[in-house]
Amino acid sequence: MAALTKLLEVRSLSKKFGGVLALDRLDLSVAPNDILGLIGPNGSGKTTFFNVVTGIYPADAGSVIFERVDITQAASRTVYRAGISRTFQRSRLCLSLSIFDNIMIGNHKRLNQGLWFNLMRRSDFKRQFEESYQAARTLLDVFEPRLCDRIFEPAAGLPMIDRRRIEICRALINEPRLLLLDEPSAGMTHEETNELMDDILQVRDRKKNLTIIIVEHEMGVIERITDRCIVLNFGRKIAEGPYRQVAADKQVQEAYLGVAL
Amino acid sequence: MAEARQKTSAPLWPGLAALLLATAYVGTMLAAEKQRTIIALLGFGIAAILLAGWLRLLEPVGRSFADREDALGALSIAATLAIGGYFREDHFVLLLVVTVLLYSVATLGLNIQFGYAGVLNFAGASFFGIGAYTSAVLNTYSTVPHLLVLLIGGLLAAFIGSLLLLPVLRTRGHYAAVVTIAFALLLKTFLEVSDVLGGPQGMQVPGMKLLGWSFNDNITIGRLSLSFYMSYFFVSLLLLVAAFVLVRRLERSWIGLNLDALRLDETAARCFGLNVARWKIIAFLLGNFLIGIAGALFGMVGGFVAPNNYTFADSLILVSILLLGGIGNPWGLIVATLIVVVVPEKLQTIQEYRFLLYASLVIAVLLFRPEGLLPRPVRRYFPGWRP
Amino acid sequence: MDAGLLAQYVMNGLMLGMMYALVAVGFTLFFGVLDVIKFSHGDVLTVGAFTALATFAGLRGIGIDYGPINLFAMLAVAILSMAALGMLIARLIVLPLRSAPALNVLLITLMLGTVLRESVRLFYPQGANPKPFPALLTQASIDLGRFNLRLDNGLMLAAGVLIIIGLQVLLNRTKLGLAIRAVAQDEETARTMGINFTAVVLITFAIGSALAAFAGVINGLYYNEINFSIGLYLGVIGFSAAIIGGLGSVYGAILGGFLFAGLQTIGTVVLPFASAYKDVFAFAVVIAIMAWRPTGLIQEKISERV
Repeated sequence: MAALTKLLEVRSLSKKFGGVLALDRLDLSVAPNDILGLIGPNGSGKTTFFNVVTGIYPADAGSVIFERVDITQAASRTVYRAGISRTFQRSRLCLSLSIFDNIMIGNHKRLNQGLWFNLMRRSDFKRQFEESYQAARTLLDVFEPRLCDRIFEPAAGLPMIDRRRIEICRALINEPRLLLLDEPSAGMTHEETNELMDDILQVRDRKKNLTIIIVEHEMGVIERITDRCIVLNFGRKIAEGPYRQVAADKQVQEAYLGVAL
Repeated sequence: MAEARQKTSAPLWPGLAALLLATAYVGTMLAAEKQRTIIALLGFGIAAILLAGWLRLLEPVGRSFADREDALGALSIAATLAIGGYFREDHFVLLLVVTVLLYSVATLGLNIQFGYAGVLNFAGASFFGIGAYTSAVLNTYSTVPHLLVLLIGGLLAAFIGSLLLLPVLRTRGHYAAVVTIAFALLLKTFLEVSDVLGGPQGMQVPGMKLLGWSFNDNITIGRLSLSFYMSYFFVSLLLLVAAFVLVRRLERSWIGLNLDALRLDETAARCFGLNVARWKIIAFLLGNFLIGIAGALFGMVGGFVAPNNYTFADSLILVSILLLGGIGNPWGLIVATLIVVVVPEKLQTIQEYRFLLYASLVIAVLLFRPEGLLPRPVRRYFPGWRP
Repeated sequence: MDAGLLAQYVMNGLMLGMMYALVAVGFTLFFGVLDVIKFSHGDVLTVGAFTALATFAGLRGIGIDYGPINLFAMLAVAILSMAALGMLIARLIVLPLRSAPALNVLLITLMLGTVLRESVRLFYPQGANPKPFPALLTQASIDLGRFNLRLDNGLMLAAGVLIIIGLQVLLNRTKLGLAIRAVAQDEETARTMGINFTAVVLITFAIGSALAAFAGVINGLYYNEINFSIGLYLGVIGFSAAIIGGLGSVYGAILGGFLFAGLQTIGTVVLPFASAYKDVFAFAVVIAIMAWRPTGLIQEKISERV
């Protein structure tokens, strides 16, 4: 079988909400192990793109192909099982649950969900629990070792940076092949963002098999970690290429600032 | 919050002390007869709890129960047996205790649906009634062994619940609410017009017979004369213990996590692989199964069933117990059931007003202490386990 | 089927539909402006009906026994007091809990409904029994062929239709109506446009509750009796009607109300052996509709932002 050149291939993807065309025949592709930046003014369709790929909204037209499998109309959980994980623009943690529980939600496909196993085979369950605890702890340790001792405390009351970290752990715990990051820097300082990005890259280096698409408004992040960018405006792709190139593009400047510099 | 940082397990004695005091209190309350004594006892109880809270005596008890749950659970069973033994000849008290035990099972079922999965069920009493009517019909018209009747009652409640499920699954919270309320109203009307099932007067339920032993005869062992409710007491206690263990294990497993995830954030849960519909179905069916079994047994205990006992108002009482006790906390549930069942029985003056009273109490709780009497603690998969 | 009988069924269906529509509109208005399900709405209807009855008894007691005056007084007292009650509920319970999970509001209003219902049952003299409601409209009737049209029914139907039309006019042609619709669409924007959010909410609740009171009196006049659980029954029907019409849509609520009445009528015709089965039939169809179109026949407003 030929080597996979495109991990994710999106062709002519369209999505309408009432009268608003949120995605307009979008073409996009990511190579394995790439880091792709997805930028554009507010409302340009970036989060909608994530939502359509992960099956939260059905696409109106076009196709999404992941590892040669068509997942265009796949349900959210099928997309997850295929190996795509995501974070959300506004932090969606279950605050009344413990940090461990929140991370484990992301581990769903690796945990035995059978009724008999969970209710009756308690010693086997205990073993899986302890393994999961170790895995969660190891991952969390990369991001914030101080959280590890509090891993069974509720996630409520933690500062935003810690919540983002937990969300990212939740997305990474099941070793996805594609990670969709939706504005991970929102609500954090420059230093915190840099630290977070470094940690994500550290995980990526360990796994050696992680592709990332990152939606961001903070251009410093995009410039630093992405190989390539795609700029959206009104749901259409208006530029593509390395960040420097794209930042100098007249159309992109107009989209953001209203006027070319 | 400091629990997880403790390196050693909490001691047993605070929980044990609390248990002993509680048992003595409940025993006294059950034995009391004069209205004035009862009111005094109630006042004393409330004052004692408030004082204990103010003196910060309740936290060690909580930690003790959290870490030593298995031991304290066994001791609670012993305490219940002690109460049963003490009141062995008292029909009225034993019936009350059996009612508490079986209502606890029903609310545990409701807890799976509502407390864990977030599926609203305002027809809890109706499913309880379905179980009871199953006993009535099968015991009267067939020779199905009575333990099997209990099982069938549970399965029938689960099955009928599944008929309501399809619309409930595809819709949001308030839709599920109206579907179950409509069902509660409809079932009562249906039972009232249905002559086969006894109409408004209801039906008699022949008592339980197990291996030739008829539960409805008084028991004499040597010089001990026991109320016939004792047999029901043992079976009910057994049922409650089984239900409690089931619910506990369910919560402390990946399944419990799934249910919490889908209750708290359905969209995110889906993005992480959860088959939301499947787990809602399982939770709803399992919950109804428990409610149905409890109802079936209760039908045999009470000796008769009538549509008037399983109305929407009664379903609201079950929901009230859940909200008062602390959604998701089985211990809180049992305490709340105890209060809700025993107090109106003892304080006859408020019997008439109990719906009004409990509704008002729930409003107060929801406004000022939404987490209930005993809030649900963070999940600990294995009590006392340390990494 | 005999034409006269058919006409009778139609008339009955229209009356019921009108009553259900009045209740359903309340639910839909509350959901529209506040995204809440006020489960106590049906029981407000009950309180309204009993308030009217109490007014009647009071007037009788002081010697006033002239039909139209009594009726007017009953309506006025019921409508005004229920409007006040609705505003009180909004102020004290619903508005403060806006940031709490929607479930809590649902539960609280459900319990509140129980408090209202039980209060009527316990504190109104002989509240637990059905109470006769005076027949204050003319008892005359006209014969149209084989159909006997009772004038009082005709009057009530006309009144109900007028009220519904009046409501539509209010919502679509007045500034207040515009404000209500603005708040229902988007609270924040409405606020920034200078609309007094709290006032609009309170007025909406007042209107909805007033409609319920009116429906309660009509119900009493139609059946010549009321009982403490009538509100629960009508509330569930009204709510179902609002849902199948699509929560948030006034047209939908009206449509849903008449649809439910229609289903009940069909049920009565098709299953004549027990009148209770008409409800089973109607609700079964409602459940089926909800399974097919979960957001109602007319789209409910989507509010979740992912």
